This record gives sequence, C-alpha cells and structure tokens, in this order.
Amino acid sequence: MKNSKFKTQNTGNETENYVLVKPGMSPKEIVDKVRSSAKVFLSSTGMRDAGQSDYKNRHRIYDLSTLAPYYNNMGLFSAECHGGARWHVGVMNRRESPFEEIAILRELMPDVLLQTLIRETNLWGYRPYPKNVIEYVVSRIDIDVWRCFSFLNDVRNMRAVAEVVMKRGRLFQPAISFTVAEWATNKYYLGVVRDIVDLCGGTDEIIVCIKDMAGVGSIKQIGTLVDSIKQAYPEIVLQYHRHITDGLAMPALLAAAQAGTKIFDVEEDSLVRFYGQSPILGVQAYFEESGISVHLNRKDAEAAVQKVREWIGHYEWAESPFKGYDHTVTSHKMPGGAFPSSFEQAEKGEFLHLMPAVLKVMSLYNKIIHYFDVTPGSQITWVTCSGIVNWYAKERGEAGVNHLIELLVKFIDEKGLNLDSMKKEEQAEILGLFRNAPGDFKNLLVGSYGKLPMGWPPGWVYRSAFGEEWEDRIRERRELSPLDVLEDDDLVKLRKDMSEAIGRAPSEEEFILYLMHPKDAVQFIEFRDKYGEAPLVLPTDVWREGLKKPGDRVEFELWGKPYCIELVSMGSEHEGVIHVVMKVNNKTRVYTVETPRAKKIEIRMAREPGDIATPIKGNVWRIGNPERGALKVGDIVHKGEEIANIEAMKMENAIEAPFDGQIKEICVKLNDPVSEGQLLFVIEEL
Amino acid sequence: MERKVNKLLVANRGVPAVRVMLTCRDRKIRTTAVYSTPDRLAHHVFMADSAVHIGEAPPVESYLNMEHMINAALQTGSDAIHPGWGFLAENGDFARMVMDAGLTWIGPPPEVIRLMGDKIEAKKIAARADVPTIPGISDVKDVKEIKKWLNEADVNFPVMIKAAAGGGGRGMFKVESEDGLATAFSQARSEAMKAFGDDTVLVEKYIESGRHIEVQVVADEHGNVVHLFERECTIQRRNQKIIEEAPSPTLNADLRNEICLTAVRLMREIGYRSAGTIEFIFDSVTKKFYFLEVNTRLQVEHGITELITGLDIVGIMLDVATGKKLPFKQPDIHPNRWALEVRLNAEDPRSFSPSFGTVTRLQIPQGPNVRVSSGVYEGDDVPPYYDSLFMLLMTAGADRQDAIRVMDRALGRNLRVEGIKSLQPLLLSIIRHPAFIAGEFSTRFLEEHHDELVSMFVEKNSEDEVLKIAKYVAEISALGPQGWM
Repeated sequence: MKNSKFKTQNTGNETENYVLVKPGMSPKEIVDKVRSSAKVFLSSTGMRDAGQSDYKNRHRIYDLSTLAPYYNNMGLFSAECHGGARWHVGVMNRRESPFEEIAILRELMPDVLLQTLIRETNLWGYRPYPKNVIEYVVSRIDIDVWRCFSFLNDVRNMRAVAEVVMKRGRLFQPAISFTVAEWATNKYYLGVVRDIVDLCGGTDEIIVCIKDMAGVGSIKQIGTLVDSIKQAYPEIVLQYHRHITDGLAMPALLAAAQAGTKIFDVEEDSLVRFYGQSPILGVQAYFEESGISVHLNRKDAEAAVQKVREWIGHYEWAESPFKGYDHTVTSHKMPGGAFPSSFEQAEKGEFLHLMPAVLKVMSLYNKIIHYFDVTPGSQITWVTCSGIVNWYAKERGEAGVNHLIELLVKFIDEKGLNLDSMKKEEQAEILGLFRNAPGDFKNLLVGSYGKLPMGWPPGWVYRSAFGEEWEDRIRERRELSPLDVLEDDDLVKLRKDMSEAIGRAPSEEEFILYLMHPKDAVQFIEFRDKYGEAPLVLPTDVWREGLKKPGDRVEFELWGKPYCIELVSMGSEHEGVIHVVMKVNNKTRVYTVETPRAKKIEIRMAREPGDIATPIKGNVWRIGNPERGALKVGDIVHKGEEIANIEAMKMENAIEAPFDGQIKEICVKLNDPVSEGQLLFVIEEL
Repeated sequence: MERKVNKLLVANRGVPAVRVMLTCRDRKIRTTAVYSTPDRLAHHVFMADSAVHIGEAPPVESYLNMEHMINAALQTGSDAIHPGWGFLAENGDFARMVMDAGLTWIGPPPEVIRLMGDKIEAKKIAARADVPTIPGISDVKDVKEIKKWLNEADVNFPVMIKAAAGGGGRGMFKVESEDGLATAFSQARSEAMKAFGDDTVLVEKYIESGRHIEVQVVADEHGNVVHLFERECTIQRRNQKIIEEAPSPTLNADLRNEICLTAVRLMREIGYRSAGTIEFIFDSVTKKFYFLEVNTRLQVEHGITELITGLDIVGIMLDVATGKKLPFKQPDIHPNRWALEVRLNAEDPRSFSPSFGTVTRLQIPQGPNVRVSSGVYEGDDVPPYYDSLFMLLMTAGADRQDAIRVMDRALGRNLRVEGIKSLQPLLLSIIRHPAFIAGEFSTRFLEEHHDELVSMFVEKNSEDEVLKIAKYVAEISALGPQGWM
C-alpha cells in the first residue's frame, strides 16, 4: 500500500502472543488447532456483517482499518471483512474496491485470517454465474476463510466454489442456512450437513457454519441441533453465526457452546445495535462466567471497542429508521443484513408506514413458499411482498391492505392453503396475488436457482405468476443445479466489451468487478478515474459533507507524502454554478462546480441509422458542396457525396453521405459550433 | 545601411509571438502585440509593452489583415514588424507593404518570399541550381491532367497534392489510389484557397519511407550565407511535424556536409537574407535527398538549432534586418549537443481532432536541459479559430539518448495540462517506442504504429492524484452529501 494512513501501527498492548491460527496455515492445521484447544474462539464481524446489519454497509475502510492493529494480536479466529453485500455497496456507494480493502488489511493485520461470505453460484451478486466465471473469480481473490451458503441449502450449488477454494489450500467454510419453521427440523439440517461432508470429503479440512441470518433460532433448538450434528460427526468443528434481532442471541450462543460449538461470530460492543451479532466483550464475560474459556486478548478487544467510538458517530445517517429489537422476526424472518436497506427503500419509496403490513405479509408468504430468507432469497421475498402490499395500498388504500392481510390469514392459517375452500371471488383474488411479481420470483419458480428445499410450491402459485402459460412453465421447470445448466460466459468478449465501456484496457481486478456487476463497475471506474483515491484518504466527515466553512481543512497522506486541502471561500450559486476556492498544499485554486440546476444546452446527438453525425468538434462552414451549392430538406444525395464540411483549426473535414438518400432534416445552421457526435442531418435511405 | 529598431510589432499570436518578444526583451526592444477579439486576454498580449486590437476572430479579419497590421505599427510608434511563423510570414506583398510604410521588415526580401512561395517556381530554380527535385507536375487544372502525367512519366501511386502557395503541411493531401484522386484534388484546392487565397496546386511523386531533413541557413545583406546545420522532422501527423531533432540521426558526416552545402548554394543563388530553411525529403533506401521547398521565415523548430549552436536566431534576424553583418563565419559554428523538440498541440491524441477551451491547469516542465516555449498560461482560453499549437517543449543532452531521457522526464513527470486535450500522451509513447529510440522511422511512423502508441501506459503521480481528490472535496463542499452515497 502506498498510502501511509494504512501503515502498520503499534497498539501499545504488547503482552503475550495470542495468534493461534494465521494466513499461510493449511486448512487441516487450522482445523486441528481449533479442535485441539480447550477454549472456544471468536470471529469478529466488525468489518463486514456488523456494518451490513445496522449501517447499510457504509462503514468505510478508512475507519475500519483503525481496528486492524488491535485485531492483529487479539486472538481472533478470523475477521469477516469481505463479501455479502459489502462488495457491491463498496463499488456503488463507498467507491472502494474489495481488492483495495484486502490489500490494506493484509498490511495492517498480517496475522489474521481474512474471511468472506459468498453466495454459492450467486457469488457476490444476485443471480447465478456460470461455472467459468465462478472459477475465474474465486481463484483470484486473496481470502483465507470462505464461508459459503445457499439460500436453498442446495449443497450441489457450492461445488464450484468448494473445489477452487480447497484446491488453493484455503479454508472452505460451508454454511447451513438456518431458520425456524415446522419443516426445518434437526433431521432436515442433518441431511444438509451430510451433503456438505460428502461434498468436502470429510470433516478434517472444513469448518461448518450454522448461519442464523435473521436471528430467530430458539435457545433450545440450537442446543439440540448442535448436539445431533456432533453425535453424527464427533470431529466436526462448528461455527455459529447468529443475529440478535429477536433479543435472545446471547443465551443461544451459550447453548451452542455448551453443546460443542467451537467458534462464534461477535462484533465490537460499540458497533452493536439491533440486527447484527452479539457484543464481543459481553460474550467473553458471559461465557467465562458460565465456565467456558474463551481465547481472546481482552485488552486489545477493549481497545478496539473504544476505537470504534471515535468514528461511529459519522454513520448515524446510515442506521435503520426501524429501531430496537424485533421478536416478530421469528415470523417475518427478515435477515439482519436486509433490515437497514429494506427500511431505506421503504423510506425512499414513501411506504415506511406500510412496513408493519409488509412484514406481516412476509410472514404469511413464508408459509406458501419454502426457502431461506437470505440473499438472494430475502430480496425475492422483500420485493414480492412489498410489491403486493404497495399494489393494494395504491388501488384500494389502507382498507385494501387490511383486507389483503385478512384474506391471506384466512387462506393460509384458517383454511390450510386449501384454495377450493375459499369463496369464488376470494379464489380469483388469490390467483391475482403474484401477477406483478418480480422476474426473480418467477425464475425461482422455474428452477433457475436450483431446487427448493421442501419441494415446489402448489400449482395455484404458478397460475398466479404465469397466467395461462402456467402449465408450460411447470413442465419446463428444472431441478438441476445452475452449475450444470448455465453456459460459460465468453470472457474474452466480456473483457473487450469492458475495454470499450471504459475506454482503456482494464486491470485484472477491474475486470473481476465488472464480471460481478458490469454497470456498477463501469461507474465505479469512471468515478475513480475522476476522483482518484478520495474514497481511501478522506476522513468520513469530509467524504460525506466536504469542508464546511472558510478555514476548514483536511490533512492526509497520499503515497507517503503530506497534503492539505483548505477551504478559502465558497461562492453563492449563480446560473447553476458555484465557485469554490481552496488551497491545495498552499496553492490557491478555483473549482467551478455545476449544481443540479446548471443550464444544460441540449445538443442533439446522432442515434439512429439515418442520423449523420460530425466526427469532430468544430464549426459548420458549409452545408452542401461547391458543385451543387447548399442543400435543403427534400434534396436527394448520393453515397460518397460531400454534404457538409466541418472546419476545425483551419482543417477541413468533409462529411459524406453514407448511402443514397433524401434529406429529411438539417439539424444545424451555417457557422454553428458543433461537438463530436452531434447530429447534422437526418437522411432517409432510398 | 544600418537601421535601428526601437519598438517592434509582432504580427502574430501564441507561441511565435511570445518567442519573438522574449528576444526583444533581451535586446531591450519594446514590443507591440496585436490581437483579435477572442485573444483579448491571451498570453502574448500581456508579454508586450503595448497591444492593439486588430479585428474579429476569423484570421482574414485580424491576423491576416495587412492594413490593420501596418496601422497598428504606425499607431503605436513601432518601427519594425516581425511576422513570426504562419499567418503573414511568407507573404511577399505584406513584406513590401511593411517596407513601403517606412518600417523595418524582419525577414527576407519580398521578391525572395514571392519567388520561393511559388512552389512551382521554386522547384525550377532549385533544378537550375543543380539541387535534386522530386518528379511532378505543376499548376494542375484538373484530375485528367494528373492521370496523363502519371501515365507519361511512369509514376505510381501514392502521389502528393500540394497547395503551390502552401507550407507547414496545410493544403497537402496524400493520395493512395485513383479512387481518392478527385476528392483530394478538390479538397486541396479548396483548402489552399481558404488558407492562402490561391487555389493553385501541384502534384508530386510520394517518396515512401522518406525522412524529412531540413537545413537552417542565415544570411546577411553583405553576401554572407552560413548554415546552422540540419534538423530532422520525420515524425509527422497529417504531414505536420510533431517531433523534431538536431542533428539528424540519419545522416553520416559526408551526407551532412553535402546537404548543408547544397542548401547554402541554393540560398546564395536566390539572394537570400535573414533566417530561412531548405527542406529536403531523404530517401533512406537510396540515400538520396530531394529538394522540397524553402521556408522563407523563422520556423517552429528553430529552437533546437539554437540549443545545439547556442545562437539566438530571432536575434540574428533582427541584426541582419538592421543591416548588420553576421557576427560569425561558417567555421565558427560548432554544434556540440543533441536537441529534441515536441509540439504540444491542443488535439485529441487518439483522433487528432482539435480540442479547445480553458486551460484549467498548466504545470510547465523545469529542470536541467529543458526549454519551454508556451503560448498560453494557466487559466487561458484556447480558441477554436487558430493553429492548435500551444506549447513547444525542447530538451537537450550530450547525445541523443540524453536528450530523450530528459524529454521523458519533462513529458512524463513534469508537464501537466488539464482542461484541453493535448498530444502529450502520444508524444510520450513515441519517444519511448523502440523504433524511435533506435532512430529507425519514416514519415509514416505514426500511421504504422498508431494503435500501439495510443494504448501505451501513461504514468500516475501524486500531484495529479491530489488534485482529483481536491476536485471531489470542492464538489461535495458545494453540493453536500450525494444521493449515490
């Protein structure tokens, strides 16, 4: 890293060495170390899931990196710092690349295992990627622990990721997506574990995660589940990931520990709000008091908790507007990671007041279609259910929303999903339920993501979603894994497309960003080409608000050299422009900033096949040619005939008719200045 | 007869105007600038001691308006006019008008300008002086005539169509085959008319893998003609030079001697005075050189000759124009280093389409062995009406490798231009190209290597990067938190 903000620092807490597992160890060594220790271990989600669950993933590496020196000798099993939605939000909203984050953290905490969260074939996106893309991407990312989950618990979908990770000698951590439902029995989960063990060739080189992403598991069930897994596989090392949304997380962690779980996800106490993981210091104290010894450098952990308080105030704006624990999560199952972003969408879409109804409909929807509410399933649930509620609200108002809920309660809870037992008009209404459902919901029904854990939903769901073609869709439905269905992408072509989009050859890392999220990656690269390392070096208040009053300054180091930007003065808005005067390392510079009200002179650009554009910026000095003189609308022109001439810097540039045609429109006047690509003529081909 | 120049009007703008004014400052000669309406706040205006508005943006109304020029000189008490290069520099009528108005003309005699300005006449005179010339026909009236000549003289494509009155690459069109002949012919005539007010064109055989070599000559009215050795200007785009160097890496001592003496012979023959250049095309296969034309003016690339000889050519022009003798003889000229020049044009380095607007940032290269001749300042506007050259960057060294190394530093690490596009990245790619470094190239170098040149890497530095960050801070300070955050 050239940036000296991210220099290795000394925490001042030098006592004994707490590092038990570290990068470079083989998966087997790591598993053995944990297995043979009498203590339990902690993974901190402070650098990923804590931020995702309560702060929309807006925590910047600028701030998170301040924790790294403490993490380095804290005795953590791992630091979850990558994956989930952090990748995409980094590219879109923080304008940081996950590659930069890894590089910074490797430098600052070389002894800590870096952990990601990956969505089997969906990687860090929302749709299945073909096998060659999965292999290309996974083999090029420097992560030590790969936690991989399937929202369908379809272990087949994990194969491509598992193979690459295990071949590289990195630790694969398959996860069971865990929820509470009648059908989600210990026996069912044991079957998933069996699939995992089969896929990974035993339990010696993996750690298995139980992922309670919504924070819904009952204390009793987690104990019995861990116990039954341990009975089936006594040597298995288990890690427990549990959100705190229902308010019962800490006793659940203890129950899991007492049943033999070795590793627990926690976060800094000062980061804890309502939907993330349990507080690291609290968990350690609670476990120790209960007779379970925890491997943790308490002094550094306390220092990290304290460090968070220095910057967490900058993120209040990102917190969910829905405050407090929510035990009803056990019915609606919204995962911790989706809380702030869902409520943000509701706020932006002006339906925050409908959220109780949406959550209620989600809890009913769960009883119709069975999968796990975690990405991309949670998005499908959210978009489908909020769409239904919004449709009723718009068409029939508040009464309509109440009616919808009554209808569904009757149909699902009272009539046990028996459509025939409903009245005719109620049947018709139920069959209209999914008519506007999103494309991903329909993809799910036809098997694009793989097979559903409890089988396909009933026929009426298909009728509702697909109308008359519903039986065709059922016939076409697949049970294969996307890995066996999707055709490989043409990486050479994709790289070429990308080069065209950004106007240069991409770096390897840029190409991977593009493979994940093409449109957002291009925007990210354009942003960074324009604003350089601003996202990495600016403190969060300046990043978000800028400099506020004259004399305010920001000091930072870039590539090892000191820099200072000071606001001298800010003009008032005039014709859509604000002039900002700043001193950049003492040199005064004036910046002209266009406001959204900046006057935009509309220039028509050539878009259609018959549109004739100027290839260069210049002045129109002739319309027509010397032989036939000026042209007018209706004139016939011939292929290769000069129809206009653009002068730029005394050089003439003949514009020729690309085909025989008739002039429909002349879009410029003589002596008009024109810019590259601007429309000159519309010609109809003859 | 010795005359004295107390105040000099520079009938030009941008880089040439600034260049001439700098020598005037050395000589304590006061200067007058002229400017068109869009040039009101231009760099050369502020360099001068007085300035006169001479017309609107189009060159014919301002910088090509001879009467306005003369009036401006008289009105400001200027007693001499230097035309720089381009515009009126090779206009014999103007030179005559200047002299008739009782002013000193800093340039060659009007008759010589006229004679050499007619490419057809010039070629005839060169042939008479036993200077080798390229096969071709002059005063072409139509395409048929060209076809007839191709046939009779047994000349193959490509051929070159040139404005008889032209120079500096304007009004020159290379034609690859019969298909493009008609369009190129009419375009050459039209451009010739617009640029030089005369649509006479000539057609010549195009020398493939040719190298462009020229000889700088200075002469006084006492019969002294001295050459200041050669320059090589082979790297061109659309027949306009973009990189020049002195000496030429192509010539050996014998060829150098031959070409320089040929040049002196021709200049003596035509009775030349002041500074001028004889351009040759050198066929690197046959090792033959052919006369192209005489530039009866100060040339853009004169600075590299100044760097290798230590002389001030503008100063020499002033001296000989006032009747002084050249202060040296041929044996006194000892070039002792290598110099390189690149032309910074306000153009897109990929497409060469012109770029104009405000120069929002200008960091001028400094350090050992660098010379910069800039026509603009930071904050200046580059208007769309004139030549796209805004800066010349020259470097010197004990040998060619040294000069290239300094140029690499100046272009890569020092020079920063923002707000307008410039050739900078392309020029950097060229001087780093193995064929350029090896000295193996022809006038087609750019056509042959264009794609690989534009894809070459331009390095980053922290000074640029911090300005990107500052731009971000300015925008967020003004606009507040953004929706995308």
